[in-house]
Amino acid sequence: MSVQTATNPSTATRRFDPLARKDDLDAFRAEVRAWLEAVVPADWRARMTGASEADYVAFQRWWFAEMGKVGLATPHWPRDWGGADIGIRHQVIIFEEIARAQAPNPDMFVISLYHLPATLFGNGSKTQRDRYLTGVKERGEVWCQGFSEPGSGSDLASLRTRAERKGDVYVVNGQKVWSSYGAFADYCLLLARTDPTAPKKQAGISYFILNMKAPGVTVRPIRQATGQAEFCEIFLDNVEIPVSDLIGEENAGWAIAQSTLSAERGLIIFELSERMARTLDADLADAKRTDAAWLKDDEARRAFTRAYNDMVALRLMIRALMQEIETDPHMGSTTMPTYIKVHFSELLRRYTEFRLKLGGLSGQLRQPIILGGGHQTGNAMHDFLLSYAWTISGGANEILKTMIAERALGLPR
Amino acid sequence: MSDGHSTDGMDLNALRDGVRTVLSEQASHEKVAAFTNAEGVRDQPLWSQAAELGWLALFADEAHGGLGLGPSELAVIYEELGRAVAPLPVLGTMLVVEALARGGDADQQAAWIPRLAAGELAGAVSMLAPGAPAPTLTLSTGPGSGVVLDGVVENLLDGAAADVLLLLAREGEGLRWVLVEPAVDGVTVEKAATVDRTRHLGVARFERVVLPAGRVLTGDADEIAQALLHHAALALASDARGGANAIFEITLDYLKTREQFGKPIGSFQALKHRCADHKIALVASGVLVAEAVAKAASGDSAAGRYALAAKALASEVYARVAQDAVQLHGGIGYTWEHPCHLYLKRAKLNEQLFGGPAAYLDGVTDLLLAAA
Ligand SMILES: Cc1cc2nc3c(=O)[nH]c(=O)nc-3n(C[C@H](O)[C@H](O)[C@H](O)COP(=O)(O)OP(=O)(O)OC[C@H]3O[C@@H](n4cnc5c(N)ncnc54)[C@H](O)[C@@H]3O)c2cc1C
Repeated sequence: MSVQTATNPSTATRRFDPLARKDDLDAFRAEVRAWLEAVVPADWRARMTGASEADYVAFQRWWFAEMGKVGLATPHWPRDWGGADIGIRHQVIIFEEIARAQAPNPDMFVISLYHLPATLFGNGSKTQRDRYLTGVKERGEVWCQGFSEPGSGSDLASLRTRAERKGDVYVVNGQKVWSSYGAFADYCLLLARTDPTAPKKQAGISYFILNMKAPGVTVRPIRQATGQAEFCEIFLDNVEIPVSDLIGEENAGWAIAQSTLSAERGLIIFELSERMARTLDADLADAKRTDAAWLKDDEARRAFTRAYNDMVALRLMIRALMQEIETDPHMGSTTMPTYIKVHFSELLRRYTEFRLKLGGLSGQLRQPIILGGGHQTGNAMHDFLLSYAWTISGGANEILKTMIAERALGLPR
Repeated sequence: MSDGHSTDGMDLNALRDGVRTVLSEQASHEKVAAFTNAEGVRDQPLWSQAAELGWLALFADEAHGGLGLGPSELAVIYEELGRAVAPLPVLGTMLVVEALARGGDADQQAAWIPRLAAGELAGAVSMLAPGAPAPTLTLSTGPGSGVVLDGVVENLLDGAAADVLLLLAREGEGLRWVLVEPAVDGVTVEKAATVDRTRHLGVARFERVVLPAGRVLTGDADEIAQALLHHAALALASDARGGANAIFEITLDYLKTREQFGKPIGSFQALKHRCADHKIALVASGVLVAEAVAKAASGDSAAGRYALAAKALASEVYARVAQDAVQLHGGIGYTWEHPCHLYLKRAKLNEQLFGGPAAYLDGVTDLLLAAA
């Protein structure tokens, strides 16, 4: 597949530079829109429908590189670290325009774009930030997250992967599981136990950067309910990690892991909520145009409008969070992101199920999947299955609800 | 009600604190319970206090003795009244002010708004609803320059407490809003008691009641009706927001102190998760109500849809939280003595006032479809 030649040849020659127009929001939006119109291949969904894994990976890399060329891969990073330091209003515009253009999701880079910087900004060394953030920005390096283990999911602090200091390296042995994009990753954000005798299980954990090409690393994809193999098992057999790839202090990994997890509940959902807004508007417009039967079905129509109102509330919650972050960049609220994650994921589950019901029996027919098509591809059964990703990962909703009850509401443990 | 300052510069937090402090004394749960047990129609001391403090003058324009403030300030009042489950007919009174401001002529405005803003008169208006049927009250030309009203008007919120009614009447093919002063015009408004005793409904019957022509609002009746419906929707959404948060806080306190099986019941995960669900719903509906108020204040073109959506979501969340509050309190929550039932009943009435949940959802859908 020749993704590189996918752009419209008549406009491909123009150089786009939205960030140069960031002082004028309208001009900024116009430039983002013009760039998207020129660069997003009109037929990308068709080409990614039932595509091979190699084609998917090539397309993801191509798209990430295109975003990078105009500075829109990492605009949310601080300027000192290779970002554009833009504010919430710019971010809103970018996400709105991306949703409007139905541009591809750079899925494969999600850890690189969000979890990695959230971890390194506060806790990484300058050398680590220079090396690894530049690697993402300039070389499109893919990261994965090695937190969960077969015996340690919700009870993450019980993890057993062991890292032992031997001279200038840590020697790591153990097994990780459910690591998204592990099969394509260059690096991994790894949690391992460095002090098995620590009195509290949280206290003996350290945070490492793992080179996925290092000897002793074996990756095995796991097929998911959707049929795709987005996540992997990672086996670690006497893998050596240089001491310089320890993030923060030895045994201080647990606290750092919290900043990684908080990334999951902020900007990522921001983008997804803009896409969700777009989908709901499109679904309604479609129903109006085709005079769909469900518009006359009171129960179905009201279920839609309830979901719509919840979607509007979701976007408002996200804007409130963004405003908080803008006034206090060191993350004012830790509770709002959690409310947002649970609200969003439950809404996604409910809405994809709603779409599935509308599909009736024909919604059960197997259809090819649009790789990188996001959470609302229109393939109702696939979207429905994929929606579990958000209620299970990033802290299962049950765990988050307990957290809300104890930390935000002050209910006793 | 965006937190902080409204565009007019009023410090909303200070307003909120002030109103809350007054209500915590004047409309404590004990006082509200006493009022409801006495089956009153209007809590006169509380009404006088509200008038004295200028709450009723917030919304009226300065030329007519008001402060000329807008939806942001009013929403604070509505929300605090909801928190306190206070028996105060503010909504009907403000709706009459809004209708006069929009559709009254200069004489009508001068005759009525100052007295409403001063709390001399309490108001009640016809119960509107999204997509509601036309009224049965008819208006015809009467003897001399007067007009004549015939028919029955039901469901007047706090109608028996009102000194002035603003009623939607049919005049030939069209609609008109008419002001009626029951005491002066010889009309009795019967109280139709609701299970929520902090409020009631009123029924007014008209048999060839003759009124001066100056009682008919000159403005476009449909436009006024729409403005009043959106105002009522925001008021009820704010009331719901306040009430839901209050009963939720009461419930959380109880879960932290009530012990069974040797520990606080709030330590049981089944209850924790319900509370977390309620909290998320309160946050989600809260931001929607706040945005709806902000859009009304700024005159945004989507303000109407947001008002309807806010009423749909906030009243549903209020009902859910208030319903669960009774269950989470156990036996004590099921007693007359405990405030749980005051909130539960207010929540259930809120769900139906000015149209039920389905009417609001359908109203939102219609506006979305029109724009789609
Ligand atoms: C699509 C997807 C992608 C993922 N990507 C990654 C990744 O990239 N990297 C990574 O490290 N991990 C990843 N995960 C793993 C994810 O973080 C875990 O699945 C999650 O933390 C839950 O752990 P578990 O699967 O072991 O389930 P368990 O912890 O065994 O939970 C099973 C059920 O029990 C409930 N439960 C558990 N403990 C409690 C409790 N105390 N109270 C109440 N209920 C409880 C849970 O909520 C859940 O419903 C991914 C998961 C999915 C589904």
